[in-house]
Amino acid sequence: MLDIFQYGFMVRALLAGLLLAVTVPVLGSFLVARRYSLISDSLAHVSLAGVGLGLVFGATPVLVAAPVTIGGAILLEWLRQNRQISGETSLAILMSGGLAIAVVLANLAHGMRTDFTTYLFGSIATTARADVWVLAAAAVVVVSFVGLRYRALLHIAFDEPGARIAGHRVSLLNYVLAGLTALVVVLSLRIVGGLLISALLVIPVVTAGQFARSFRQTMMTAIGIAALAVIAGLVLAFYAGIAAGGAIVLVCLALLCIAMFFKK
Amino acid sequence: MLPSHADKQLLLDADDLSVSFGAEQVLQHVSMCVHRGEFIGLIGPNGAGKTTLLKALLGLLRPQHGTVKKQKGMVVGYIPQRGSQAVTAVPINVMEVVLLGAHGNRTSANDALQAVRMADMARKRFADLSGGQQQRVMIAQALASQPDILFLDEPTTGIDEHSQAAFYTILHELQERGIAIVMVSHDVDTVLTLVTRVICLNGSIVYDGAPEHFESDKHLPDMYKKQHMLLHHHHGHAAGGAPDA
Repeated sequence: MLDIFQYGFMVRALLAGLLLAVTVPVLGSFLVARRYSLISDSLAHVSLAGVGLGLVFGATPVLVAAPVTIGGAILLEWLRQNRQISGETSLAILMSGGLAIAVVLANLAHGMRTDFTTYLFGSIATTARADVWVLAAAAVVVVSFVGLRYRALLHIAFDEPGARIAGHRVSLLNYVLAGLTALVVVLSLRIVGGLLISALLVIPVVTAGQFARSFRQTMMTAIGIAALAVIAGLVLAFYAGIAAGGAIVLVCLALLCIAMFFKK
Repeated sequence: MLPSHADKQLLLDADDLSVSFGAEQVLQHVSMCVHRGEFIGLIGPNGAGKTTLLKALLGLLRPQHGTVKKQKGMVVGYIPQRGSQAVTAVPINVMEVVLLGAHGNRTSANDALQAVRMADMARKRFADLSGGQQQRVMIAQALASQPDILFLDEPTTGIDEHSQAAFYTILHELQERGIAIVMVSHDVDTVLTLVTRVICLNGSIVYDGAPEHFESDKHLPDMYKKQHMLLHHHHGHAAGGAPDA
């Protein structure tokens, strides 16, 4: 029925999108619960600086962006834990700093503008077989980590001092969560783009939260919503000839509006 | 003056704690101990360092001076001030909250919910509960970890009087089970009727003893006595169902 999936590039796009639909809301549930969802936006901007560095020096952008973004995540978490600067202020500083560096590097990388735009808004149709494998590996790592440390992560999200008193390794787990968020942000760059990734992280979770009765149900429903948005967004993008990243996020927003309407 | 603890097991021993934030000295040479089955009311005027002392005892804050020794293997439960939990952004239900304390053990979680008379609310969203119900769930969470000491920080703030009474009844039942309770409160009158021991703090400890001797204690500084009278007066007027702000 959907002849678009006769094309290899669309199948790869669908697989990549579905892998992100599983991975991103799993992390997003904890980040939204902690009111820390803007971390993905800040890290996306830092990752763009990494992409710029890669383009200027002729290296594979994602390979440069990954350590730069993970470094940014560790810095953010350190600032938050040591209360050097408040959480939201450090997010804002890193966000604008990352973007400023990205803009300057984009200017330096003459003739690379097209490439850079790919990382800003994503280009899911150019997903390579290797991208799918890397995303699959990342999904396994993220889901395993959350599965093994679910209760501790939930305790931290609900009541961080309480989790500390209960003996959970709060500081370490927060660093790992931030690091994995950075990894997923970098891997999402070419799919939905740096400017849209936080939408995929936040909107499905908030939509699920409108009617879910528990945290676990919210997380599972958010995965379903993200998967639905990926499929619908891709189909929409293919037939309407619009950017897939934008289409996926718009479907997410439409689902949120529907959920909020029916909640009333 | 000091109650005898010779027959009670020592659970926690804090010795000579001093805490300062920058130039401000919040706690000075505070020493206190907690024995099994005690119900300690930690009171004092605003800014006296009550919450700071609680955090130091819990290990959430490292004092500049002094030590906190805990009995080996001792389990500590903690009920923070209301509203400190993330409850609105993503729904979490009552059972999930209690399971956090129960290390995933559903039987312990159910028992704890029954002890606070909230078993029929297990599937409700935590955010949809009243303040009093939320605090009972937090007690159940702490209870499910089978604590030796339960620390509470202003647990009844913003809760109506009827729910407060139910809450205190539950605390009494826990004390009878042998759980030590340390409760920070600004509600001096209620504390005096509930606890087995009062510790009054104002930077350092100004009273540590039986509640019945608290108001007649000659050593209680006049300064705190005045503040206590003010509080007493305030609560006399507040009584009537209005929630404490």
